[in-house]
Amino acid sequence: MLTEQLLSIGLNHFLTISAILFGLGMFAVMTRKNAIVILMGVELILNAANINFLTFSKYNGGMEGVMFALFVIVLAAAEAAVALAIVINIFKTFKTVDVSRVDTMKE
Amino acid sequence: MMHSLIQLSIAVLLLPLLSFVVLIFFNRRLPRMGDFVGVGLVGTAFACALTIFWQVVVQHYDPAFRVAWEFTWLDFGNVPGVGPLQVKMGIVIDNLTAIMLAMVTLISTLVHLYSTGYMQGDPKYGRFFAYLGIFTFSMIGIVLSDNLFSIYMFWELVGLSSYLLIGFYFYKDSAADAQKKAFLTNRIGDIGMWLGILILYSQFHTFGYREIFENIAAGKFNMSNGWLTAAGILLFMGCVGKSAQFPLHVWLPDAMEGPTPVSALIHAATMVAAGVYFVARIFVLLTPDALHVIAFIGAFTAFMSATIAITQHDIKRVLAYSTVSQLGYMVLGLGVGSYSAALFHLLTHAFFKACLFLGSGAIIHAMHHEQDMRWMGGLYKKMPWTFVTFSIATLALAGLPLTSGFLSKDAILAGALGFAQVEGGGIYYLVPAFGFAAAVMTAFYMGRQVWLVFFGESRTHLKPAEEHGHDAHAAHGHDDHGHEDHGHHEVHEVPWNMRLPLVILATLSVFIVFSPDPLDGGKGWFMHLVQTPATVVASTEAAHEAASLHAPEAGKLLAEAHTDNQHVEAAATHQTEGHGPVYADPRQAEIAHMTHANHFPAIQLSSLMLVIGIGMAFIVYVFRIIDPDKTAHSIRPLYLYSFNKWYWDEIYDATFIKGSMLISKILAWFDANIVDGIVNGIATIFRKFAFANGGFDKYVVDGLVNFTAFTVQTTGAVFRKIQTGKVQTYLLMVVVAVLAYFAFYIAQLIK
Repeated sequence: MLTEQLLSIGLNHFLTISAILFGLGMFAVMTRKNAIVILMGVELILNAANINFLTFSKYNGGMEGVMFALFVIVLAAAEAAVALAIVINIFKTFKTVDVSRVDTMKE
Repeated sequence: MMHSLIQLSIAVLLLPLLSFVVLIFFNRRLPRMGDFVGVGLVGTAFACALTIFWQVVVQHYDPAFRVAWEFTWLDFGNVPGVGPLQVKMGIVIDNLTAIMLAMVTLISTLVHLYSTGYMQGDPKYGRFFAYLGIFTFSMIGIVLSDNLFSIYMFWELVGLSSYLLIGFYFYKDSAADAQKKAFLTNRIGDIGMWLGILILYSQFHTFGYREIFENIAAGKFNMSNGWLTAAGILLFMGCVGKSAQFPLHVWLPDAMEGPTPVSALIHAATMVAAGVYFVARIFVLLTPDALHVIAFIGAFTAFMSATIAITQHDIKRVLAYSTVSQLGYMVLGLGVGSYSAALFHLLTHAFFKACLFLGSGAIIHAMHHEQDMRWMGGLYKKMPWTFVTFSIATLALAGLPLTSGFLSKDAILAGALGFAQVEGGGIYYLVPAFGFAAAVMTAFYMGRQVWLVFFGESRTHLKPAEEHGHDAHAAHGHDDHGHEDHGHHEVHEVPWNMRLPLVILATLSVFIVFSPDPLDGGKGWFMHLVQTPATVVASTEAAHEAASLHAPEAGKLLAEAHTDNQHVEAAATHQTEGHGPVYADPRQAEIAHMTHANHFPAIQLSSLMLVIGIGMAFIVYVFRIIDPDKTAHSIRPLYLYSFNKWYWDEIYDATFIKGSMLISKILAWFDANIVDGIVNGIATIFRKFAFANGGFDKYVVDGLVNFTAFTVQTTGAVFRKIQTGKVQTYLLMVVVAVLAYFAFYIAQLIK
């Protein structure tokens, strides 16, 4: 039963999970004020993208999606390192990580 | 290869110019302000001129001697509407040129020498010699010219140097006025001269004397003979201006404001004679009508200015009017056809009149710038040299036998008598009558002058104090010669450099220089060398007359032709006797014959006139049988008429000067109202236009620019709102944009 049910998990389920994950990540990025949380949202979005890559790769039968997912993971790691460095610098400059108060870019 | 005479004459021409150039630039750096440069260079020019004179006059002694040289000065090629246009320059040396060259350079040299004494101490001493140099250069240019164009150029240069020298004391108003008057009066004559040159040029496309004469003789003058007469009279107008003939004589007496050496050189001996010289050069193209005009103008001038000279007080003014009168004689001589006599008088007059002027300069110098004869007197003991030379020159001017003046004046008067007889008497006798009347008056006023200046008691103390003060200040303040230490009234003889010219010039006023026979100038070298040239117009006119012969005139013309023949025969027999030139034209031959016939009557008459004139002077001034003041009082209107110079200045003032002032005022009004009005109107239009243009600029062009800026600003203001600087806003916009894109994409799919 369970295996049947498990076997019945198809493309749409993966895409739905991915979409939900993307929506959560997007929500976090757009509503949170803490820069760290925003970064976490970004990670969620990236992972949603990874799920999409892998899903389409599986259902298309090629290896390109797997390759891209690996790249994205590496990229996410690099991005996290750079972004955290930026956050630290922002904190050093503004004494806060609240992005709503870091609005000097408009000048 | 240039003839050696031409080379010498170029040296004569350029040496005074060199003197001018050196002195005008460097006179202050040279010792003695460079007077030795002027005297030396002009003296060298005189030496060259004397060489020419020696070779031409003494060695060749040929009436037909002529050397010419010319070159093309300007070549304009073929000018549309005019034809080939070339201006040539050239030099012609004939007997007249050689004699004039020697005369001009001699007098110029003597005047230079004299000026080293007379002008000493003048602050512009060096400049004076520079001006004398440019004058001598231009005068020599006139003498050497072989064409109308170059003579006109030098003519104007002479006018310029005369202007500079008359106004040498330009800080005196009277001198400044006199120089302007001289210049403007001369311009009137020169305009006429230029028009005459243009008439001839329009016909022949050449300025050269010789080409013009040959063309006229060949009958190539295509207009009526009236035009040729007009050309002759217009050219003569140049002479009227330069030689101070009536009606343009008014400038010469005023020109006496210049320094006295200038009066001697320019306004007695050379420049004023240039007019006579010019008429002599163009003599052969003058028609009989033109010659009649010339004769009457000369006679009237001689008479009128002699009457004025009688009553003048200023020693130089008497001489000035005398000069005008003598120039009148020369012009009269040319007009009546006594070509050689007129030029002879030019030469003799140059010497004795220069002597008189230099003598009067010596007197003025010695009298500390006193020029009024009423306050002179008794100078003969104090200034013996001046007295003797002045007296010789006076006698020459009055025409005493044994002097040069007698020879030339008698020749002119004989010519005038002959002319009147040939022309058939009547009104033509006015010409010799004026001539003889002027001779009487000349003797009278010169007798008066010599007596007033040299004899009697000194009248210096009689001078009214206030007038004296005024004059003395004017003169001493301006040309102070540093003689104050001699005491105010002490008169002394002038130094040697002023005496020497007087002696030389007085020597040249004696008959033996010009003719071995004291009673007949015709036997002298001058009359032999300078002979009446054959006219080029009379024959053509005779042809014209013959062609248009009208019945009533036929008899008269035939009769004239008959007498002509007689006289031609007479002249021919005269010719065989051994003297007298060959005449191409019967009229000239006739006048020459009658002149010869009238030689002794003229001598007798003019001697009688001389006796009358000098006798009158003695009766009035020496024996005082007639008191001059009382006489003047009893004929006061006449006296005033003469004393005020026939009121010519006043007449000209009332007519031409007032007239031109009126025209000037009208023109000034026209200028101020009409011309300025037009200009201002145009300016207003432009201002209005500019105003409109400015408005367009301000509102339309600037408006567009400002609108663009405003749009950009407004847009920017809107878009700036979006730029919050908050990351999440940007992200929101990205999301919205992506969603919008999807919405659009899906809408497309559905469709």
